Amino acid sequence: MAEDTTVDAAPDVVDDGVAVTIDGTEVRARKGELLIDAAERHGVYIPRFCYHERMRPVGMCRMCIVEVDTGRGPSLQPSCMLECTPDMVVDTTSEVTRKAQEGVLEFLLVNHPLDCPVCDKGGECPLQDQTMSNGPGESRYIEQKRHLEKPIPISDLVLLDRERCILCDRCTRFASEVAGDPLIHFLHRGNHTEVNTFPDEPFASYFSGNTVQICPVGALTATSYRFKARPWDLTQTESTCQSCSVGCRVAVQASRNEVLRILGVDVDPVNWGWLCDKGRFDFEAINSDERLAAPLVRQGDELAPAGWAQALRQAADALSGALDSGGPVSIGVLGGARLTNEDAYAWTRFAKGVLGTDNCDAQLGDGLPPEVVLGLPRATIDEVCRPGGTVVVVGPDPKEELPVLFLRLRHAVVEAGATLIEVAPARSGISDYATVTLTHRPGEVAEVVRALVGETGQSSDLGGADASAVGRARALLDQADGDVCVVLGRPSVAESADFVTDAASVLQRALPGARFLSALRRSNVHGALDMGLAPGLLPGRVRLEDSGAEFAEAWGAVPATVGLDAHGMLTAAAEGRLSVLVLLGADPLADFPDRHLAERALATVPTIVASDLFLTESSARAHVVLPAAGFAECEGTTTNLEGRVSVLGQKVTPPGTARSDWMIAAELARLMGHDLGLESPAAIWDEICTLAPSHRGVTTDLLRSTDSDAGVLVPLEREEPAPADVDSTDGVAAEDVAEAAVDQAAADDTLEAQAAEAEGVAAAAEQVAAEEAGELAEEAAADGPVEDGAEEAVASRGPATLRFDGIPAVTLAPRDAYSLRLVATRKLYDQGTGVQQSAQLAPLAPGSVLRLNRYDFERLGVEEGSVVRVASARGALRVPVVVDAGVPRGAAAVYVNQPGLAATSLVDAAAAVTEVRVETGIDS
Amino acid sequence: MGLLRGFAVTFRQMFQRPVTNQYVIGTGEKAPKPERLHGRHVLNRYEDGMEKCIGCELCAGVCPARCIYVRGADNPEDDPVSPGERYGYVYEINYLRCIHCDLCVEACPTEAITETKLFEFSFTSREDAVYTKDELLVDDDGMPRHMPWEDWRPGEDEHTSAWMRATSPSGSAAFEGRVAWTGELGYGVRSPEAAQADKDAVTVPADDDDHGHDDHDDHDHGGGDH
Ligand code: SF4
Ligand code: SF4
Ligand code: SF4
Ligand code: SF4
Ligand code: FES
Repeated sequence: MAEDTTVDAAPDVVDDGVAVTIDGTEVRARKGELLIDAAERHGVYIPRFCYHERMRPVGMCRMCIVEVDTGRGPSLQPSCMLECTPDMVVDTTSEVTRKAQEGVLEFLLVNHPLDCPVCDKGGECPLQDQTMSNGPGESRYIEQKRHLEKPIPISDLVLLDRERCILCDRCTRFASEVAGDPLIHFLHRGNHTEVNTFPDEPFASYFSGNTVQICPVGALTATSYRFKARPWDLTQTESTCQSCSVGCRVAVQASRNEVLRILGVDVDPVNWGWLCDKGRFDFEAINSDERLAAPLVRQGDELAPAGWAQALRQAADALSGALDSGGPVSIGVLGGARLTNEDAYAWTRFAKGVLGTDNCDAQLGDGLPPEVVLGLPRATIDEVCRPGGTVVVVGPDPKEELPVLFLRLRHAVVEAGATLIEVAPARSGISDYATVTLTHRPGEVAEVVRALVGETGQSSDLGGADASAVGRARALLDQADGDVCVVLGRPSVAESADFVTDAASVLQRALPGARFLSALRRSNVHGALDMGLAPGLLPGRVRLEDSGAEFAEAWGAVPATVGLDAHGMLTAAAEGRLSVLVLLGADPLADFPDRHLAERALATVPTIVASDLFLTESSARAHVVLPAAGFAECEGTTTNLEGRVSVLGQKVTPPGTARSDWMIAAELARLMGHDLGLESPAAIWDEICTLAPSHRGVTTDLLRSTDSDAGVLVPLEREEPAPADVDSTDGVAAEDVAEAAVDQAAADDTLEAQAAEAEGVAAAAEQVAAEEAGELAEEAAADGPVEDGAEEAVASRGPATLRFDGIPAVTLAPRDAYSLRLVATRKLYDQGTGVQQSAQLAPLAPGSVLRLNRYDFERLGVEEGSVVRVASARGALRVPVVVDAGVPRGAAAVYVNQPGLAATSLVDAAAAVTEVRVETGIDS
Repeated sequence: MGLLRGFAVTFRQMFQRPVTNQYVIGTGEKAPKPERLHGRHVLNRYEDGMEKCIGCELCAGVCPARCIYVRGADNPEDDPVSPGERYGYVYEINYLRCIHCDLCVEACPTEAITETKLFEFSFTSREDAVYTKDELLVDDDGMPRHMPWEDWRPGEDEHTSAWMRATSPSGSAAFEGRVAWTGELGYGVRSPEAAQADKDAVTVPADDDDHGHDDHDDHDHGGGDH
């Protein structure tokens, strides 16, 4: 392993380690390293059940006991609880060790049923394996075993078989230590000890699936995998989860061309082996019967199956017709966050190079402007979660939208002494871990941020935030050790993105060293933006106006003018100015914040061409529907929220004749008389790394090298933060830090080496970077005064040619006393196809109620739970109302995209905030 | 000279008694088969009619010809197919590929799959060659179902190959004389085979036994080629 070589190759560098003798060989352990880890690192695997490298050791199972001599004679000690000390002598194979381990196993098997043939763990079970390798050959136990009711559901997704449990404490530790959902416990005592939940508290955690993966026996099993296959049926490929933009690495396992299970892969910079339940279980959607398997073409009111030739011809004719009648500006391409990088590039090239339209937007009006996402100095997850660091979260609830980022943030705060300041329109899943949470009224996030960084004095009204809390947060920010990181996203779709953009300008100005982690949610939205699927952008994070000439040379043409974003396109469509709207996996009716506008747009535009996995509400209105290949069905790469490019794996074939989106783009181009020359994802990637400035040097070889398992951060020249200070924290945290630092060092080395290998290209990239940085500086100078620090920060970050220079403060008319401002946030489980097409997940979408602060609630004078009427300028809804102390005064909160409530029908995307009135006493 | 010596052998052989055993004897009766012959499989039931197969896929995992396809499923609570949580929901053996090695029988933890002595079956279509649960599962009396293309004779459906396991799990002498395998078609327990040592003491016409095996293999290949 990488760690191994680092240590062995440079023993002098790690000289603060200790010398221990393991099975007669002297090895160097790190200071404070557990014996079980040190042994494994040097090729001696000590059997174990309870120890898990991502959790605190507890010494529950005693399987890892080995004979250790620390100078006072050999004795048996659990190696997972023992830190290496100088001159320790360990014998993992002695007769005493062997007997002790056999004894432990014999005891563990006393109550363990002989379920192997029917157990989902059978064949990949540590208990089976270690019984074979370290156990007694035969059992002497002939008495009755303990009997308990066979599997009991402890949540909708997880089943528990207590007979099989060996009480290792992994699941319980995970729930309380890692997920922060202590819902599964040990009950009773002694021989009656069992793992269970409390009767009215199911294990309803977003992370429950991880316990299935780490349970060393088949006590915890997943409902979706129950009896589906046995390990020897499965083949697997590594890939990256496409259910949100965190980009957790996963193993996709399939049998007979059907994906049956997703497991987390432990990669250091991203997910540490964890997954959220959505990412783990929404693979059922891949196998759904509802998947589109053949193109559909509209015949009157009906969509009828058609051949590809006919469907593509019809789409191409519509596009040609639009070009002839209205010119390129009458075509719009909406969506693209579902696509791979290669798909997105092919579509950008088709739209911008062939059609000549710049009306492209991978976001659906619910994100942030691309210059904010791509143009701010970017942070990695590791930087954000730096032990002892300070993070400001201005964005959506990470627990609901980016669950594994939530786990990492939680770990940073709880285990590694990080400080987290949250600025949000309502309390969120991370509020419990935030050192300070500042809730602001919708539309006033920038006010709070100004107060936070000390740009405004102590005015009486701080955007609704509590003055003393703001004071505390400010003090924390002042004390911040090292540069601050900001997690930046769009907390609520019921207010304009300008407010967050404004807040970002303030933070960038006031905290010159700050780095930003984008919290846009959709799977590959960052890749799609990198590939230029946004108005005014071209692949490689460059502007149309800056790099248009180069791309025109490569592509033949680029759009003449900057086009429309999602809001602009839908408005144009609604006003009859668009002739063709292409939906690339986009469902504006469900996802665009303003449902009325989306409705009018789709009703008015003459032709809709949709490429989708399912017939969504929006694609059902299309004239031509093209079935696309989705996750695990196509090859390519994806980019996560850090800008980390990783390789997707194909494991199954798409249903019917569905095909990748890049093929659709290439075919349409061909039908319109242009040969894009794109033959395969690999060929497209080669073109990307030649043309896209930010991706220079990120070759296929680099991406596929084993050292890049976690993905490659683009651009390559991006500097990494200095290794964390090992002594600044203690206990487990210190170990983590030390490990992380070493890992990081290893990762850096390999990355550098790789970069050096890719010499020619990299050198070219550097040159371009330098030139472009120069250009940018000039441009910035011309644009007006910019803080020196900010400029430095940007310039030092390599060729990220797009940059964000802040926007002037946005002002907002004061709220009238009768209205409330709407906060519309997301839940993890919603009406998206991934969740709805997965039988296990669909029922978990919680629906929505209206949540009000007690003060505002009491003004209504109704019972909790009674149905009220919420009316905005756009529309009205009837919804039950409840009290929620986490919602600030003057705000009314709902969840969007939930069954039973079309919350977006209240929102006017053109308005800065959505004001609603809540009325009672209407019975009908 | 050498040439003549060679022809001498040929010449001598012409007057030896042929060792070929006629498989079909005179009237069309089949010759008796050795006890451990491996024929086509059956899936057995318990006395109460429950299926023994629990869909564990161990047979499929061990099969060297990769000709078994099994999928398990949750036992319906109100109408269980087998005892326990899981049952064999799909069970298929492709006889175009099976080499009748009996490893599946060895692997099965519940004695669900055993082999009969029947190997006189030939197919005219691929579908017929893939036996599903409908064909493999024994009937209500615990007897194999007779397919139109199989040549069953009275009494032939009484023995299964699993009988050999009655005495020696893993071939361990420690289990001699103990019943560790029920070994009947359908259900029921057979008395254990005589201990290996005793058997060896008795003068068994050993070559007879071997012969049976060869015979069986030849015929089986013939069947597979159809
Ligand atoms: S259920 Fe599994 S993970 Fe939990 S204590 Fe039991 S054996 Fe360990
Ligand atoms: S956090 Fe996001 S990327 Fe990770 S498993 Fe969940 S949905 Fe997938
Ligand atoms: S007898 Fe051998 S080849 Fe035939 S199904 Fe059983 S294991 Fe496979
Ligand atoms: S026949 Fe036996 S080994 Fe095969 S699946 Fe059924 S129970 Fe398992
Ligand atoms: S692994 Fe050490 S006690 Fe369980």
